Amino acid sequence: MDKNVQERFTGVIKFTPPLYKQRYQFIKDLVGKYKPKKVADLGCADCTLLWMLKFCSCIEVLAGLDICENVMKEKMHRLSPLPGDYLQPAERSLTVTLHHGSVAHKDPCMLGFDLITCIELIEHLEESELEKFPEVVFGFMAPTMVVISTPNSEFNPLLPGVTFFRHPDHKFEWNRAEFQSWALSIARCYDYSVEFTGVGPPPTGMEDVGFCTQIGVFVRKYSQTSETAHFEKPTKAAYKTVFKAVYPSLKDEKYLQNAVVSEVVFTAQVIKRSLLDHLKSEHEEYNDSPVEIKSKFQHSKNCVSEDLEKLAVERSMEPFVNGNVVYIPLTKIFSFSKVNQLCGTFEKLRKLITGKVTLSSDGSAVMVSTEHENEEEEN
Amino acid sequence: MTGRARARARGRPRGQETAVPPVGAASVLCHSYSFPIFKTTEFQISAGFQEMSLGDRGGRRRDFHDLGVNTRQAIEHVRESKTGSSGIMIRLSTNYFRLTSRPQWVLYQYHVDYNPQMEARRLRSALLFQHEELIGRTHAFDGTILFLPKKLGNKVTEVFSRTRNGEDVKITVTLTNELPPTSPTCLQFYNIIFRRLLKMMNLQQIGRNYYNPSDPVSIPNHRLMVWPGFTTSILQYEKSIMLCTDVSHKVLRSETVLDFMYSLYNQVEEQRFRDVCTKELIGLIVLTKYNNKTYRVDDIDWDANPKCTFIKADGSEISYIDYYKMQYNQEITDLNQPVLVSQPRRRRGSIMPGPAVLIPELCYLTGLTEKMRNDFNMMKDLSIHTRLTPEQRQREVGRLIDYIQKDDSVQRELRDWGLSFDSNLLSFTGRVVQAEKIQQGGRAFDYNPHFADWSKETRGAPLINAKPLDNWLLIYTRRNYDVANALLQNLFKVTPSMGIRMNKAIMIEVDDRTEAYLRVLQQNVTSDTNIVVCVLSSSRKDKYDAIKKYLCTDCPIPSQCVIARTLSKPQTIMAIATKIALQMNCKMGGELWTVDIPLKQLMVVGIDCYHDTVSGKRSIAGFVASLNQGMTRWFSRCVLQDRGQELVDGLKACLQTALRDWFKWNKFLPSRVMVYRDGVGDGQLKTLVNYEVPQLLDCLKSVGKDYNPRLSVIVVKKRVNTRFFAQSGGRPQNPPPGTVVDIEVTRPEWYDFFIVSQAVKSGSVAPTHYNVVYDSSGLKPDHVQRLTYKLCHMYYNWSGVIRVPAPCQYAHKLAFLVGESIHKEPNLSLSDRLYYL
Repeated sequence: MDKNVQERFTGVIKFTPPLYKQRYQFIKDLVGKYKPKKVADLGCADCTLLWMLKFCSCIEVLAGLDICENVMKEKMHRLSPLPGDYLQPAERSLTVTLHHGSVAHKDPCMLGFDLITCIELIEHLEESELEKFPEVVFGFMAPTMVVISTPNSEFNPLLPGVTFFRHPDHKFEWNRAEFQSWALSIARCYDYSVEFTGVGPPPTGMEDVGFCTQIGVFVRKYSQTSETAHFEKPTKAAYKTVFKAVYPSLKDEKYLQNAVVSEVVFTAQVIKRSLLDHLKSEHEEYNDSPVEIKSKFQHSKNCVSEDLEKLAVERSMEPFVNGNVVYIPLTKIFSFSKVNQLCGTFEKLRKLITGKVTLSSDGSAVMVSTEHENEEEEN
Repeated sequence: MTGRARARARGRPRGQETAVPPVGAASVLCHSYSFPIFKTTEFQISAGFQEMSLGDRGGRRRDFHDLGVNTRQAIEHVRESKTGSSGIMIRLSTNYFRLTSRPQWVLYQYHVDYNPQMEARRLRSALLFQHEELIGRTHAFDGTILFLPKKLGNKVTEVFSRTRNGEDVKITVTLTNELPPTSPTCLQFYNIIFRRLLKMMNLQQIGRNYYNPSDPVSIPNHRLMVWPGFTTSILQYEKSIMLCTDVSHKVLRSETVLDFMYSLYNQVEEQRFRDVCTKELIGLIVLTKYNNKTYRVDDIDWDANPKCTFIKADGSEISYIDYYKMQYNQEITDLNQPVLVSQPRRRRGSIMPGPAVLIPELCYLTGLTEKMRNDFNMMKDLSIHTRLTPEQRQREVGRLIDYIQKDDSVQRELRDWGLSFDSNLLSFTGRVVQAEKIQQGGRAFDYNPHFADWSKETRGAPLINAKPLDNWLLIYTRRNYDVANALLQNLFKVTPSMGIRMNKAIMIEVDDRTEAYLRVLQQNVTSDTNIVVCVLSSSRKDKYDAIKKYLCTDCPIPSQCVIARTLSKPQTIMAIATKIALQMNCKMGGELWTVDIPLKQLMVVGIDCYHDTVSGKRSIAGFVASLNQGMTRWFSRCVLQDRGQELVDGLKACLQTALRDWFKWNKFLPSRVMVYRDGVGDGQLKTLVNYEVPQLLDCLKSVGKDYNPRLSVIVVKKRVNTRFFAQSGGRPQNPPPGTVVDIEVTRPEWYDFFIVSQAVKSGSVAPTHYNVVYDSSGLKPDHVQRLTYKLCHMYYNWSGVIRVPAPCQYAHKLAFLVGESIHKEPNLSLSDRLYYL
């Protein structure tokens, strides 16, 4: 290595965006590509990665595990649903859970995941924990995909101020050969394939040190049916749940019903208003220009029988007023795209709103009262 | 934190072809919630907001509770006791819970230093908490100040931590204070800890309050959603530190700003759309979809759209679409929508951050627009859910305390700090002062004090001063001829018993257009006209505004507008004609009733503000001063605050004119002036005391060398979270009108009291808080309380007791009319009449 080049770089290595963000982005990209439904982050610390992942619409289950309860708790509330999530519940369901525990212990709550990430985790493990790690993650949890990142010690000379390890809590830092041989042996043992990559590219002229952070992406080679997954696995819990948030979702009947009832009532109001406005403007025309009305009358006289018949047919679809009540056929409401999308079928619509919305006696129309507002204003 | 992109767009956003005004220094920014109050030390807390203008209620809010304003000590005669004596005792409970700490409880305050200096707060905490074995699990830290429930071994402790870059950092933790439970710093600390507890209970913070999202009430008719929640604060009250908590309802709307824009677009003509939309949205609070932050809409940038770009903190340029996609996975579907602009309220350190740019599609509306508030049906539907009876309210408040007592992690946190809450509502004894007799037409009327209403009792009694309707106009559109005529006939029926002499009105038919109304007014109003009555066909504001503006400024004549629909029901028209007759009489300078006011030579002043959110945040203050002993005649003026001008300059001018008018009426000057000041926002008390009161004193001094009247300044606050429950018959009920509370829940550093003056038909009654911030009157607290209560009987638009002293309500009415409709100062020739009623 050319000593001058090295000296030139030691002072100026700076990653934009910062390296930790690049690592998270790497995971986000991976999630975007493979669309896993269940994702767990081991060593989730202050839950930043989990927080970023909750916005990924493919994920339905998010779990975090960390050995330090306090660091998880400090920011865990940002994993809670937001007001907006309640205002317009999403189609997908999402449950976020945080567990307090060690990656050296097996707990059934980590079974059946599509992706498990261990970002800058293994270098914090004591030797005894590191020994158990492969069996727990690859043998027991056995997700479809595992991502492990760890510092590449070959890069350390380029980092300012790093003399030994990058962080005082690191128990070791591996070079690429060490990491890869560890990873390959795990892959062999647990029937995974592994590919190596990284983030934080070395500066020009120093390419041979490799990425600042080295990453192994493991993919399980055998397919696992859900039965085999839970077969002969222990069911005793080893972790403590510290946080759980179930996001409102339209998959939940309660939220779906709320959403449908809201949409139906609102749609009915819109139809009622436009119908009444229409009738009112006709009425006003009536007052202002008697001549025109006369002709209208003549017209209707002539076609009275024809019109009535047509009216009867249209009634199945068109709203009408009877006394103080506007009848809005459910078929009409079902034809609105939002209602349609929410319910899917007409039967489902009927089922969801029964008992929640006032319907006509035969259940075919929504009834809305036309009662006048009685506001009183004098000034 | 990745969720915080703070960046300033330079100049004009790209993706626009035409040269249009720039988004300016647009930036997307999201404040992270930190401990804002910790940033100031104990001494700065009370001194940090000198230059704040009293104009806008929104202002910069640092100290919602006006801590550190100690006005009582300067008022000699209440230093010992500020309690009144009259009335009968009543057992009350209130929504307060005592906070208790274990004996000899002390909070240890430490200062934490880093060498080399570390800037980021998160890094500072991470480095410090590498030493958890030293610090312990229980702590509160804002990056500089550390609070612990325990004392560290040494006064100065030094520890070393290493950053991720391998840098060694020396951390020095120095004990700076041992705080007793009542220290102001401790109060802030309690509030921070309490917010932690609320979060633990999974309540969502929106604005200042916390809400429970799991049990929402949806009102689909209006696309509204109501979240039940709590407003809470922990403060030092008269004898103890207490948690005051009340039920709060957050009205959210299940539609985005973009949805709203679309439905509005379908309702109004194309060319008016932008104006109407701006008017509707500006000042509203929106909630973003992707994080839990609320913003006030200050502007709409019609020239920008989501394709515009801005510069991120790292210097890279990104479009809003890409930013939201990348950061929050939020798809923006409408690429042509304008953007909302929100000015930051708070400084971050020494720099004022640039405005935040928000995408309508990603923002939900919260709260109610003015239009919605005026929608009778909507408010009715809403009140079913938000208006709680005393019993319901007490139960809901109790539920919060139950949560606290039952939640394990909450209890542990409290235990770790050595704190606990009482599980019962605070209860004590209040007083109900005697009901006032209403004097009208030489007779004194009694009425049921529980209803606080005498409209039935005084019906048909002659008024104190009835103004004749000799020459007056009645203007109507063709379609409303019948109702106009019905009004006229009914006025003929009801006026004689009041003592009002009435001729037939000059009836004028008018086209239903604004210009037509104005032309009719110009042609028919003469200097002899007593009053103009207009029957309007709809509640459309433009005609009303035009009529009021013309008749209050260009051609000063009292006017009365009535909406035709109000008169359309034969069964109620007589009652309505009665009310209108009374109102018209007041507008012409008549007097209705009075109560016994024992204090002589007293001028009472009421001040309230209206904040015009639309036309450039201009504030308008209404100023109303009594002119006679019976408080039946009033002098009314208003102040339009111009940019950079303080309201008080105008108020001084008002006070001077009021004194001159008083002199004209009474041939001497008042020996006492009592100012009821409403419209003071949370955290503005200091400014009022330090700036406005001295100016009022100056103004009185300037009247004459020997003139030295006694002055009292009383701050009136309607929006308080305090509620009282009368415990009678085993069920909590509203306390009766006339209930006075001046112990327990008042503040030791103030001369303050609560009065429940009004009666409510449904829901829980809200007491009004009165804070006497200046008083050279020497009057006993009991007399001030009684006088205040008497004044609540004197509002002529309501035959009953109201929530605030009449001059405040008059001032409110005046400021509202000017702010909403007239937008300039009314003609001074009207100032001796209640023309704005």
